[in-house]
Amino acid sequence: MYRESAKIKFTFGPDHILYTECIPNTIMTLEDGKESTRISAEMVNYEPRPLLCDLTHVVSMTQECRKHFAGPEHAATFSKCALIVNSPVSRLIGNFFLGLNKPLKPTRLFKSKEEGLKWLNE
Amino acid sequence: MIGRVAALDFSKTLSISDKNDMIDAIGLGLNMLSEELNTNVVERSKLDTVNSKLEKFAYTTAHDLRSPLNSITGLVTLLELTINPEENSEVHQYVVRLKKTTEQMKNLVQGILEYSIADTSSIEKQEIDLNEVFKEVIEIDQLSDCAIIKIENTLPKVVFNRSTMDQIIRNLLSNAIKYSDKKNCEITIRAKEADDHVLISICDNGPGIAKENQEKIFELFNKIDNESKIDSHGIGLATVKSVLEAVGEKIWVESTLNEGATFCFTLKKEKQGKGTLSGQSK
Repeated sequence: MYRESAKIKFTFGPDHILYTECIPNTIMTLEDGKESTRISAEMVNYEPRPLLCDLTHVVSMTQECRKHFAGPEHAATFSKCALIVNSPVSRLIGNFFLGLNKPLKPTRLFKSKEEGLKWLNE
Repeated sequence: MIGRVAALDFSKTLSISDKNDMIDAIGLGLNMLSEELNTNVVERSKLDTVNSKLEKFAYTTAHDLRSPLNSITGLVTLLELTINPEENSEVHQYVVRLKKTTEQMKNLVQGILEYSIADTSSIEKQEIDLNEVFKEVIEIDQLSDCAIIKIENTLPKVVFNRSTMDQIIRNLLSNAIKYSDKKNCEITIRAKEADDHVLISICDNGPGIAKENQEKIFELFNKIDNESKIDSHGIGLATVKSVLEAVGEKIWVESTLNEGATFCFTLKKEKQGKGTLSGQSK
């Protein structure tokens, strides 16, 4: 299953993992975050699934958006979350997210999709 | 930008390019830190306002309750004198219970009042001799009648507010006696001087405090044993902690269950004449 929003591409594969990837130079706002959660929830049929989220092309994420991704609504949609952070900015956002926002669901940062998938499948 | 943030001005943000390189990451990091700091400062300010309102409310309520409670005490005494009930009669027992309940309520209100003003930052401090403070509290409260109290070494002089120190010592000594489960309650007071502070410890031979309760006992209205018949409102230790922390001091308990407890608190070594209890000059 594949869907797209203005900033994110969503793929829900047969492995029951939701893959999200942002388009280049994405600035994530609270509205984008909420829309992303809504689309994701519809795709996983409201059953918490693992998420592999590639943040590499994100250049900024607002405080409200980070709070939303760390909060209960997102935790109800995803059982665990692997964040792929391959650029300096995405690594910083990822570290901020883990350190300051403290997401409710298990969340880890990875440099490669393979490592992230391995952890999600554990 | 860092200068502005240091001055708690969070209006300035750095512009970020779309290169997604290390410079962008540093700029974005500073912007995000500034944003988080701003949120914390605003939330802290709101909490301070709410706390201040709550403290005022607690003080006013407790203060205003004292007057009718004193009237009730007087009226109960008058009632007792008027009806002059026979000892051990049902009426006599009711009057005794009424007096005891009123007294408990007065203690509770007094405790709330003391707690609500515990954070007062403008209390005058003076040089006080801890030996004298302990001696006076023990004498005035007649604590020697209920416990064997030993001061192990000569206690130092400190600069602190006298009545607050009385309050701290009175609370800690009376707690040791109140909760004692031994025929002879034994209390040992010690002082140990470190570089910049004095450590005072009050050690008892009571029932001790389980590890999981050693922080809870300092929380307001927290009574570890709700079934306990000991007359306690869970305010005393919270007040002691509050007054000590208000001036940057610490209090904690070291204890093993059934092996007594040692309450320790720190007092800074200070020279006299530095102003108020909080260190602010008047």
